[in-house]
Amino acid sequence: MSGTKKLALRQRYEYLTRGLDWETTYQPMDKVFPYDSFEGIKIKDWSAWEDPFRLTMDSYWKFQAEKERKLYAVLDSFAQNNGQTTISDGRYANVLKLFLTGISPEEYQAHRGFAFTGRHLRGAGARVAAQMQSLDELRHLQTQVHTISHYNKYFDGIAEWPLMHDRVWYLSVPKSFFDDARSAGPFEFMIAIGFAFEYLLTNLLFVPFMSGAAYNGDMSTVTFGFSAQSDESRHMTLGIEIIKFLLEQHPDNLPIVQKWVDKWFWRGHRLLGIVAMMMDYMLPKKVMSWKEAWDIYFVEAGGALFQDLGRYGLKMPKYADIATAEAEHISHQNWAVFYQYTHAAAFHTWMPDNEHLDWLSEKYPNTFDKYYRPRWEMWAKMEKEGKRFYNPALPQLCQTCQIPMAYTEPGDPTTICFRSTQYKGDTYHFCSDGCKDIFCDEPEKFVQAWLPVHQIFQGNCGGATVPDVLKWYHMNVGADNMDYVGSPDEKLWNEWHAEKLRQAG
Amino acid sequence: MSYQLTVEPVGETIEVEEGQTILDACLRQGIYLPYACGHGLCGTCKVEVVDGEVDHADASSFALMDFERNEGKTLACSARLKSDATIEADIDEDPDQRRIPIQDFAVTVEKLDNLTHDVKGVRLRLEGKSIDFQAGQYVNVTLPGVDGTRAFSIANPPSENGVVDLQIRLLPGGKGTTYIHQVMKEGDKLNISGPYGRFFVRKSRGGPLLFLAGGTGVSSPRSMIIDLLAENYAEPITLIHGVRARADLYGNDEFEALSKKHPNFRYVPALSSEPEDSEWSGARGFVHDVAVQLYDGLFEGLTAYLCGPPVMIEACVNTLMRGRLFEKHILTERFLTANDEKKSTRSPLFKTL
Repeated sequence: MSGTKKLALRQRYEYLTRGLDWETTYQPMDKVFPYDSFEGIKIKDWSAWEDPFRLTMDSYWKFQAEKERKLYAVLDSFAQNNGQTTISDGRYANVLKLFLTGISPEEYQAHRGFAFTGRHLRGAGARVAAQMQSLDELRHLQTQVHTISHYNKYFDGIAEWPLMHDRVWYLSVPKSFFDDARSAGPFEFMIAIGFAFEYLLTNLLFVPFMSGAAYNGDMSTVTFGFSAQSDESRHMTLGIEIIKFLLEQHPDNLPIVQKWVDKWFWRGHRLLGIVAMMMDYMLPKKVMSWKEAWDIYFVEAGGALFQDLGRYGLKMPKYADIATAEAEHISHQNWAVFYQYTHAAAFHTWMPDNEHLDWLSEKYPNTFDKYYRPRWEMWAKMEKEGKRFYNPALPQLCQTCQIPMAYTEPGDPTTICFRSTQYKGDTYHFCSDGCKDIFCDEPEKFVQAWLPVHQIFQGNCGGATVPDVLKWYHMNVGADNMDYVGSPDEKLWNEWHAEKLRQAG
Repeated sequence: MSYQLTVEPVGETIEVEEGQTILDACLRQGIYLPYACGHGLCGTCKVEVVDGEVDHADASSFALMDFERNEGKTLACSARLKSDATIEADIDEDPDQRRIPIQDFAVTVEKLDNLTHDVKGVRLRLEGKSIDFQAGQYVNVTLPGVDGTRAFSIANPPSENGVVDLQIRLLPGGKGTTYIHQVMKEGDKLNISGPYGRFFVRKSRGGPLLFLAGGTGVSSPRSMIIDLLAENYAEPITLIHGVRARADLYGNDEFEALSKKHPNFRYVPALSSEPEDSEWSGARGFVHDVAVQLYDGLFEGLTAYLCGPPVMIEACVNTLMRGRLFEKHILTERFLTANDEKKSTRSPLFKTL
């Protein structure tokens, strides 16, 4: 045995990665890294970056290979045992439709965003971390597509997910969120996706889908969730490191970072509305209410985070109080939108049954009985009378978040909230002060928004009628859309159940 | 039932209760291990088990792979000890930390002094032994009839290794301090153990030093400063010692003498609630406010050592960070008492602050 002392992990890694951030000689550094200065962020010393996850490519492959082996073993056994027949209820498949069309494509957008960022940051530590995250995000998309492809053999509405992501009205909400982040500079992308999305809001986005899967007997989704979450440690650590690093590097960075945190908190909050709706309305077996999740993961955990960030002078995101107040309303208001527009959505809707209504009353004692239960009961009554309510008009969309203008005024849940502003002679409309502020800060960016309703009216979406547009969406009308009750999904689920009962004797 | 856990590369040994996780035990002993989810899913807290046996408990098979289990890895947030064990964690070895084995000492109360109306100076004479420690560390004292041990910082420099000087304020309702103030007498025999703690001067970093002390929190800085000055530390050293009023101030004659003798040492006693019309001509206000005045609110380039009650530490950390001195350059020793509320939820943003 040699008497040499074993190197600490950090030292070993330092030796391995030394020299990765060499100074270029036959091209100036500013030409090699052209995007890391226009945002106004000042970095005095890249070497102060603490590489949060000292991982080599060699061990990276080793890890990911084993994760894949395990995941595909579970998927295989799920398929062989007809796992799709043992989920809690056929309605649960709609959660997966929402996930695959609304979230999985954003994994791919995150992959592209981190690849770009990893190329354009000057510091070697940040570069390597962003590049590994880029590979992770690609893997997440692949595993999700593979997991859900099994459901696609039986349930409608998932087959055209990449095309739908680019075309369907409500999917422009997550799409435009990531388009915005990816078309920003590398530092804003890191705060938007690395910090706000992957750290601050991850427990409200990804985790509810995974715990929902666990509660509803979907072991294949639970497994890709575990597989992805084991990468999240690196992502979360990277999110924490980026914000600390920027705030410690230069005092001029604080107002820039604060602006981004305000922006991406509000944008994230708006995006999370679909998760709120999923938790409160779409899971046959409930995990917890959206309000409860918001209180635990944002009010408490986020509160502790911002208390700590306060030491740098960073404040709680602007309009965090409004977002917390909206947690009492947002899931109901979103479900109301999708119920009215069920003919144009690629998943099914339904009115909650009595047991579900009572659960909502219990979870939302301040708002549900007063504002939402009467509406649901009225719509259920109309359904019984053969007068199921559809909204035939196309909704006005918020210029920033692209969500239909259905949210209500802070403090007044009976009045729709409208905001507007003028820019170069045109009027732009917003769902909230938060979205309006974001527009007013970067109007040149947001006037270019691809708003689905505007595009339909401009004739860019297949035609002038709803059937034309649905055809352009590749929507299989009568199967992908409309109510769960009476759908082919329901018919199939009932057949499986009848068969099970028959076999049980 | 409990086990001994040695944490490499820092070389600290701690007790871990049966059923307690490695992470919980380490964090409670002030050893920061990187962690995030806290329940076996993310893998941030992965450590290597060099020796001994652990139960991986709920560690996810994705966060802790089979090949890693075979290689002896575990997740600190989930793992429970099944025997005494040694782990190697991804934490920084501090070049200034010496590895001093913790020992038990039989001591005699040699001298009791009233330093102020509610602070006692206690000199403990070690029986037939000397104690090796780093200036800033503390000892645990076992008191007759008082459950558990009480931690007190050593106020004398390591060169005086035959005694341990403690400075102890009477906490209303505190069992340990009430015993010391009202029952303890010279000649009593006690048992102590030590030295403990990671609060010591990072001498190898060099540069100007700022000591911020609240109340009896001046005990560690006293040891550290006497030690530094004896070694002729040449960079500027400032001590701001905050107490409520003139009647609470002690040790000032000694510090003033030291500052006369060593021009690089500045001593600033600060009173936070001294009557306005009193004769006090020194600094007034809380320690962090006085620091802002002295440094014009900019602390870049310093290394700060903070010692005192949690509220004072919190205020000082906030002030220093506003003045652009960050975690790497702020070292703290919190004087917790039974009256202090349990730490509220913290985010994983800071490792040690």
